[in-house]
Amino acid sequence: MQYDVIVIGSGPGGYVAAIRCAQLGLKTAIVEKYKTLGGTCLNVGCIPSKALLDSSEHFYNAAHTFAEHGIKLADLQVDLPQMIKRKEGVVEANVTGIQFLMKKNKITVHQGFGSFVDANTLNVKKDDGSDEQITGKNFIIATGSKPSSFPSMPIDKKRVITSTEALTLTEVPKHLIVIGAGVIGAELGSVYARIGSKVSFVEFADSMIPTMDKTMGKELQKAVKKLGTDFYFSHKVTSVENTGEGVIVKADTPKGEQITLEGDYCLVSVGRRPYTDNLNLEAAGLAADSRGRIEVDDHLQTKVSHIYAIGDVIRGAMLAHKAEEEGVFAAETIAGQKPHINYRLIPGVVYTWPEVASVGFTEEELKQEGKAYKSGSFPYKALGRARASMDTDGLVKVLADKQTDEILGVHIIGARAADMIAEAVVAMEFRASAEDIGRISHAHPTYTEAIKEACLAATENRALHM
Amino acid sequence: MANEMKVPPVGESITEVTVGTWYKKEGDTVKMDEVICGLDSDKATFELTAEANGVLHIMAQEGDVLPIGAVICSIDGEGSSDGAAPAPAAEPAKAPAPEAKEEAPAPAAEPTPAAEAAPAAAESKVIEMKVPTVGESVTEVTIAAWSKKDGDHVELDEVLCELESDKATFELPAEAAGTLRIVAEAGTTLAIGATICKIEVGQSAAGASAPAQAAPAAQPAQTAAPAQGTTYAANHPSPAAGKILAEKGVDPKEVNGSGVGGRITKEDAQKAEKSAPAPAPAPAAAKAAPQAPAPSAPAQGERGQRRERMTSLRKTIARRLVAVKNETAMLTTFNEVDMKPIMDLRAKYKDKFKDKHAVGLGFMSFFAKAICIALQEFPAVNAMIDGDSLVYNDYCDISIAVSTERGLVVPVVRNAEQMNFAQIEKEIIRLAGLARDNKLTIDQMQGGTFTITNGGIFGSMLSTPIINAPQSAILGMHNIIERPVVVNGQIVARPMMYIALSYDHRIIDGKESVSFLVRVKQLLEDPTRILLDV
Repeated sequence: MQYDVIVIGSGPGGYVAAIRCAQLGLKTAIVEKYKTLGGTCLNVGCIPSKALLDSSEHFYNAAHTFAEHGIKLADLQVDLPQMIKRKEGVVEANVTGIQFLMKKNKITVHQGFGSFVDANTLNVKKDDGSDEQITGKNFIIATGSKPSSFPSMPIDKKRVITSTEALTLTEVPKHLIVIGAGVIGAELGSVYARIGSKVSFVEFADSMIPTMDKTMGKELQKAVKKLGTDFYFSHKVTSVENTGEGVIVKADTPKGEQITLEGDYCLVSVGRRPYTDNLNLEAAGLAADSRGRIEVDDHLQTKVSHIYAIGDVIRGAMLAHKAEEEGVFAAETIAGQKPHINYRLIPGVVYTWPEVASVGFTEEELKQEGKAYKSGSFPYKALGRARASMDTDGLVKVLADKQTDEILGVHIIGARAADMIAEAVVAMEFRASAEDIGRISHAHPTYTEAIKEACLAATENRALHM
Repeated sequence: MANEMKVPPVGESITEVTVGTWYKKEGDTVKMDEVICGLDSDKATFELTAEANGVLHIMAQEGDVLPIGAVICSIDGEGSSDGAAPAPAAEPAKAPAPEAKEEAPAPAAEPTPAAEAAPAAAESKVIEMKVPTVGESVTEVTIAAWSKKDGDHVELDEVLCELESDKATFELPAEAAGTLRIVAEAGTTLAIGATICKIEVGQSAAGASAPAQAAPAAQPAQTAAPAQGTTYAANHPSPAAGKILAEKGVDPKEVNGSGVGGRITKEDAQKAEKSAPAPAPAPAAAKAAPQAPAPSAPAQGERGQRRERMTSLRKTIARRLVAVKNETAMLTTFNEVDMKPIMDLRAKYKDKFKDKHAVGLGFMSFFAKAICIALQEFPAVNAMIDGDSLVYNDYCDISIAVSTERGLVVPVVRNAEQMNFAQIEKEIIRLAGLARDNKLTIDQMQGGTFTITNGGIFGSMLSTPIINAPQSAILGMHNIIERPVVVNGQIVARPMMYIALSYDHRIIDGKESVSFLVRVKQLLEDPTRILLDV
């Protein structure tokens, strides 16, 4: 079989690339090693974790805030198997949807493990052991990433688990030890904290979600703390041991002393690594770098010009929507177009409660670059809608250029932050100033008013409701 | 201060000239050495170039007959000091020169409104020129040749270099006026979108958008410029606009954004193509200008007109044909061929031939074969000029002209001298098929040593084909018509074809060309000779 484009991997980067290729009239195939399409995001990532986050959130609200709303409940219980079952239903509906999209766009799906034979041929090893070779004029490598771990934390998938296993636990852990308080750790840690687990975060850095604006980490910690969690920042894990009944985690404190934590599960969420194992890149004339990434240029072209790579296997944030943008970008580049991508304006989101979302420069980055900036923030507490909904945790922080008032960064923690950040992205794509947003009508009562108010605060400290 | 320009002496016996076409309008700003007018004499047509920078005032209208030395126009110097001074130096023989010299310094002191407007648009900047998108499946191009040198001054839309893709050859026009900085050398292969050169738009920018009118046109530009200069977001394209501009190879800096604060909207980006990737609205107005003076003769009936851009392939063909006519000493010799023997032979063997070789026996194989034999006997016809050398070819790579929807292409049958009839027929069919499907590569069209063109298939009776450079000769076939001829003292009807050989007289003498054609005629009229090599 000869294709114009063969996409390896059917995650959000891969399947989007395939659809865009097909839209552009290219004969397209997609190769996926799992039985279901959708990759990490749909099967064991964003979608199932969001399903559980929502379920646990509802439970938490039912337990803690419904009475205040005037809703009385008796005998509130968590039915974890049902929660997991619903999650699986959501996943199934989504992957079936992708299957449909492939069919609709006449994309050939090759189920099996793809590896290069040469720069134009891909071997697809099927589950039944048979092989099929397909050839393509262009390739898009979109094989994504796997959870990474350190030798000191040997993952056995029973007691010492990754995010994948955390999505299929059959019991609520009594004490869950989470190594790494980044996005994944914060999300899954808060899921179990809400449904009754005692959760301890052990983090090498000195705050939660350390890659985001410091204010966000601080605020998130305050919110997650309310769930009854413990934090061990600046702690270095030295050993993780599965005792059969539970786990023992040892770590060094900042002062060099050793502490020991005992729990029944240990979630290792110390990041993800590009997944290019057994892809046989060498046969295509390619190689992964020391961190397992594939090097690409500004056109997402590898050094073999007809082979592109996108998403988690290349530089940049490991985010589904970043991979999607790159998928479209690669497809359009192959079709001879010159697409747009602005890496600075890819938003980052953490689906904890409250949610955290941000785009653009963090305050720390601006300081580091020596840029003259001004800052404006607005707390959810002062927002009518937030008070009505009892979601008063959080704030919006806007960073703008001191001279031009151009918005340089927006950081939100609070209810619906994930959706609200889109306004900031649109504004920043058009290089709006803080005052521009301040002068644009925002519906009342909504959460987005907090963005307007924060922008006004950044303009000349003239927020109206403070 | 006006700088009068007079009709220059153009040749010993010429005493008067007719004003042909004004390329500039009254009041236009012109640059020194820019062509402003075409003049016709009884011997030749020549161009009048501006002797200074400034505003043009026309004194003689198109069609006027002027004696040598008469004043034709004046230029109100805008007075850049480098402007007027070199003019006299360049043409010392001319009468008006000394006057220009005297007056030159004066205008320098008092800038006209046009000069004032200039700095606004003349911010020094560098425009990066990228390889444009040339077609859906074309992903890279090769730089065939630079027509400008690194550091040369180039004008807007001036051809900078020739690019070749696997589909066609095309030219890259300058996106702005300025100093050329070549990034990729000739022979380099570049991906679509790669930077090919840079143009430093310097002080000359105002002149670059040369046609820029004086006061009225410059004014709006002036007011627009400061408005944008002040906001940080000016020239910032929206995501969709950015993509469109990138695909057009237009630098966002060159686009006047109409969005809030000078932001470039999608519509701005879509329009950017139409008004050339140049600054200011001036060029658009200028482009319309030459059309304006066209006299409208009253006429009846439908008189619709259509104006289509020439394709780059068409432009390339046009340029090459004219170049060949200008650069070679081309002439044509004719002969006629009695086609009866070939037709008899075809009638007799065509079925057997087809059965055995799975290809029809056409005239082309006879012609190609006869030509190969004749070429080897008259090697000059198969040779070419390269600089000061003559290059003789021991092989015969025969270019066959094929007409396609997009224009004429000439795929090459390689080593035709070693091929038999069936091989030649098959190769011609293969190449013609590729040509009609637009699948011929540059390689397949290059390197022929001699060309055959068959106008006969369209009904041509007699023609003088143009040489396919750098080859030195081309054979034209024509249609076959029954005509009375005398054979052995009897008038008989015979299928006759005129054949024509156009050749470059610089390398092929009359004796060779005529003998070559006679030899081809002999071989065609008695194909047995091909077999026996006599």
